[in-house]
Amino acid sequence: MNLLLFENGVSQLIPNWVIFAQTSTEVAIGTTPSSDTITGISSMWIPILFGALSYVLIQHGIIKSRTWVGAGLLSLLIAAGASFGFTDFSLESCILMVFFTIAAGGGIGFLTAREPVYAALGFTSAVLSVCGVLFMQSALFVAAATMIVYAGATIIIFLFVLMFAQQTELRNYDVQLNKPLFSAVIGAILLATITLCVTSANAMLPIKTDSTRALSAANLPDELSTEAGREVARKLDAIDPTLRFIPKSTAGLGRSLYTDYLLAVELAGTVLLVATIGAIALAQRSTETSS
Amino acid sequence: MNETMTQNLLVFGGVLFVIGMVGFLTRRSLILMFLSLEMMLSGVSVNLIAFSRHHQNYQGQILAIMVLTIAACEAAIALALVVSLYRRKATLDIMVWDELSETLMPKMAEIPYTSEEIEMEFPKLTPAGLDPMTRPISANFDAQSTENGESVKASSMEAGTHA
Repeated sequence: MNLLLFENGVSQLIPNWVIFAQTSTEVAIGTTPSSDTITGISSMWIPILFGALSYVLIQHGIIKSRTWVGAGLLSLLIAAGASFGFTDFSLESCILMVFFTIAAGGGIGFLTAREPVYAALGFTSAVLSVCGVLFMQSALFVAAATMIVYAGATIIIFLFVLMFAQQTELRNYDVQLNKPLFSAVIGAILLATITLCVTSANAMLPIKTDSTRALSAANLPDELSTEAGREVARKLDAIDPTLRFIPKSTAGLGRSLYTDYLLAVELAGTVLLVATIGAIALAQRSTETSS
Repeated sequence: MNETMTQNLLVFGGVLFVIGMVGFLTRRSLILMFLSLEMMLSGVSVNLIAFSRHHQNYQGQILAIMVLTIAACEAAIALALVVSLYRRKATLDIMVWDELSETLMPKMAEIPYTSEEIEMEFPKLTPAGLDPMTRPISANFDAQSTENGESVKASSMEAGTHA
């Protein structure tokens, strides 16, 4: 295992407990058909609670009444516990549930806080816990990039908020909302639909290996070219096939990005350049001397 | 990857997306609407990463990187737009910029915000005139005659008191 795990310098960034979590997840695998339906029923808690909660909290405001804040936090904890009660108990699922709960709480705080600074704080906590979730999914580079981009953007927005909303009293447009009942109903319906579709039986397609992108070689690590590497790979496959995927993640991602998706990278660079020019042109103060 | 965990991740992405959508629909401040958009994009990223993990290839992660790039571009342009819009009208309210909306739509009623609860307070005026509970007005009361009947009534009351 050491050959695979520590051959690459980048892979050393992965702490051991992630891999331990993977192996402990393997023990807990073994979903019976009945547990699927239980998951579907338990997940229905989430949309109903979120719909009602969002409407109630939007109407009352999180800064006015502490009773409603307590009620919202309690129902959030109940929803998290209800969905946690039906998932497999392992270290990974525990950490993921904590991240889910923090992100949902931050999102609700973002949705209901009347003061823009508190809303930005809720957004930041939600995005940081999303980064934690991405990290747990072995998307290390995407997690780091999300943290940099979103946290940097959020800091800039913080500055903007502090610049624009320096006044101590709240503005009218911060307090009054635009059709909260309509939006809450639409959001609850959408969330219920998503949950029903995702948790229905046989919703998950079987794992499909992509053979058209040969250069990315996600399923063909370099170690397979040697006999010792093949031996290690066989041992890892016996435990969990995803283990082989984890350590080489960032290196394989870079290889895939700059071989198979080179055109997309070039296009993304072009879009960034155009956006920079457009932002400068938009933010420029129009001078009176221009004809 | 455990299928249940993938389903949980998809539901989590849906929760983030719905929170962002409700925020985008309800909020009226330009900056907070923009933050709601970012929240929706992060929900999409979670979705993509979950499928990347499920199928064990890099396509989802690469799509998530593209989403991040577009989010960065959007942040730059949206902030520039907010600055130029704020320069025009000196407010962040989205309701100010509704020249292109339908004219048939009713305008939203502006409720001025007060931080404390509104208490009904009745004005305390000095009581004037006759108390209708103690001296009920008769059914054949003529309002026209009261113009010159004021002195008559007063004189009759004085007469009553004198009597």
